[in-house]
Amino acid sequence: MNIGIHLPILAIAVPLLGAFALPVFAKVHKRLRDIWAAAVGAFTCAMVIALAVQVLSTGVVVYTLGAASPTQAVTQGGFPIRIVLAVDGMSAFMGLITALVGLASLIYAFHALEDGHGKTLAMTLFFLLWAGMLGMEYTGDMFNFFVFLEVTSIAACALIGYRTWESRPPEAAFKTMALYTVGGLLVLLAVGILYGEYGALNIAYLSSKIGGSQLDKIALGLLLGGLLMKAGTVPAHMWAPDAYGEAPAQAAIVLVANTQASLYGLWRVLFTLYGGVLSSPAVGWLVVSLGTLTLLVAVLMAVVQRDLGRLIAYGAVSQIGYMLLGVGVGLTVLSSRPDFGLVAMQGGIFHMLNDAATVGLLFLAAGVVRRAAGTRDLTSLGGLGHDLKWTGGFFLLGSLALAGIPPLNGFASKILIYESSFRLSPALTAIAVLGSILLLAVFARAFQGVFLGPRMREAKPAPVGMLLAMGVLAAVILAMGFAPGFFVEHLVTPAAEALWRGRDLYLAAVLGG
Amino acid sequence: MKLVTGQGYWSPLVWLALAAGVAALSWLFWRLGRRTYKAGTEQDAPFLSGEAAPEGAHVGGQHLYWGFVQGLRPALEALRAFHSGFLGDYVTWMVVLLAVALLVVMLT
Repeated sequence: MNIGIHLPILAIAVPLLGAFALPVFAKVHKRLRDIWAAAVGAFTCAMVIALAVQVLSTGVVVYTLGAASPTQAVTQGGFPIRIVLAVDGMSAFMGLITALVGLASLIYAFHALEDGHGKTLAMTLFFLLWAGMLGMEYTGDMFNFFVFLEVTSIAACALIGYRTWESRPPEAAFKTMALYTVGGLLVLLAVGILYGEYGALNIAYLSSKIGGSQLDKIALGLLLGGLLMKAGTVPAHMWAPDAYGEAPAQAAIVLVANTQASLYGLWRVLFTLYGGVLSSPAVGWLVVSLGTLTLLVAVLMAVVQRDLGRLIAYGAVSQIGYMLLGVGVGLTVLSSRPDFGLVAMQGGIFHMLNDAATVGLLFLAAGVVRRAAGTRDLTSLGGLGHDLKWTGGFFLLGSLALAGIPPLNGFASKILIYESSFRLSPALTAIAVLGSILLLAVFARAFQGVFLGPRMREAKPAPVGMLLAMGVLAAVILAMGFAPGFFVEHLVTPAAEALWRGRDLYLAAVLGG
Repeated sequence: MKLVTGQGYWSPLVWLALAAGVAALSWLFWRLGRRTYKAGTEQDAPFLSGEAAPEGAHVGGQHLYWGFVQGLRPALEALRAFHSGFLGDYVTWMVVLLAVALLVVMLT
């Protein structure tokens, strides 16, 4: 059997089945559970990487479930009725982000979680969330997109709130679940409208049929509302600081990747599903406006936070604004100014990868701080740099990268966004730069408050495994900072091109012809 | 290594070379400074606003940028009120976002 053909479904099925088998292995022996989790994690990462290599070297990979040949998506009648996975440059790029964050989270979780405190449950939910995210990114079917969206919602909320022995996590999980449910229903309603109109759920087929009717527009509005909320866009972002702030560190970084999976869904809808009819720049301007608002409001809220976790959470929300701004500029000038539109999209998409690594590193460092000092309250922390030198270094690296300080990776993606948004409107660049300056102030305050000053308490040292997880993300940050051209050329540009000009290739790969 | 930005390019290696030059220049200026510093003496004692700091004094995270936060207080308080923590408000703002998205899409 040629496993290479089956990589898209295996990358989803392995973590999914791994999640359900994990509690069984835990019943047998805790060590067996850990070995199983490590094997599932390693195998999933290997398959995601192999699939990305395949996509980047051969083009869109299509996998049809239940067909005689997995590459044959269309039936003899010329109609796609089976469940199709379609992986293009953008999907492969998102898969790599998900794999990177998942790997770091898993390494960290082995040492951060304790057996008496729901370790098996947390790891099971993590694998479910991982499978759901990969499903959202690889699917070529709108209903399956909704199903995977719900898988991620349920797993994410359970991960936020499973620590029922504390008061705040269940409350944060409840609020998040309520909003995720409303958002999911909006997406389901939109999928229902499209199915009622065209009798199909396949993204490529729908894209070829959508003509811009009033019903199409209503469906687009519903999809925008649901996905923008799940991406944490202002003013529907309020669940995000609650969720990120209360989730354990290894879960918070996967929640960040989950947010990005929703952003991916938004890009897929705007550029592929509705790519044939969105000629007006109005929707692009909507995305740009919401992005600008998001980065400014979130960073101002970060200024006044006293809890390190919530401070980082608002920093994470502000980064969503930069992504929306970059890709929104690209969407706005899609047909009129392709010269800087592609650069804007490269910036926005590159920032997704940068954000996953930098925000992930900051959340993991915050987890070490909480473990070491028993609190994340900035008013009572200080001097931890004496005992947590590596963690302090990682936090500083993540802070500088997030604020876009050269030569780190955050600067590389932000310079692309700054320069391209300037061509659309200098005011956008001014707000984006102001956001970065405020972010630097916020994280300088956090670093000074947590790690500098006299030793105020004895701090528990971080286990090597937790440092290793942070080290993986720090290495990625440095690599992307010192070789941004390599990452943009080999990963970001194929992803941006897949959205920008890749709609026809996507449709041809799925529908043939 | 070089990143083409549309308007020009960004090279972290060029930036590092410049940063190394600035660091070398700073070090030269530092070498020209006074040589009367003695470690472990009262010269090491911290001062806060010209006052001798009590033992264990620490400018905590909440103190940094105090003036900046005070200056922005009205705007920040309004933003805080906007983040009420009530689920009803969360859903209301989500409906607002949905309405704006639908309006923009329907009018195009």
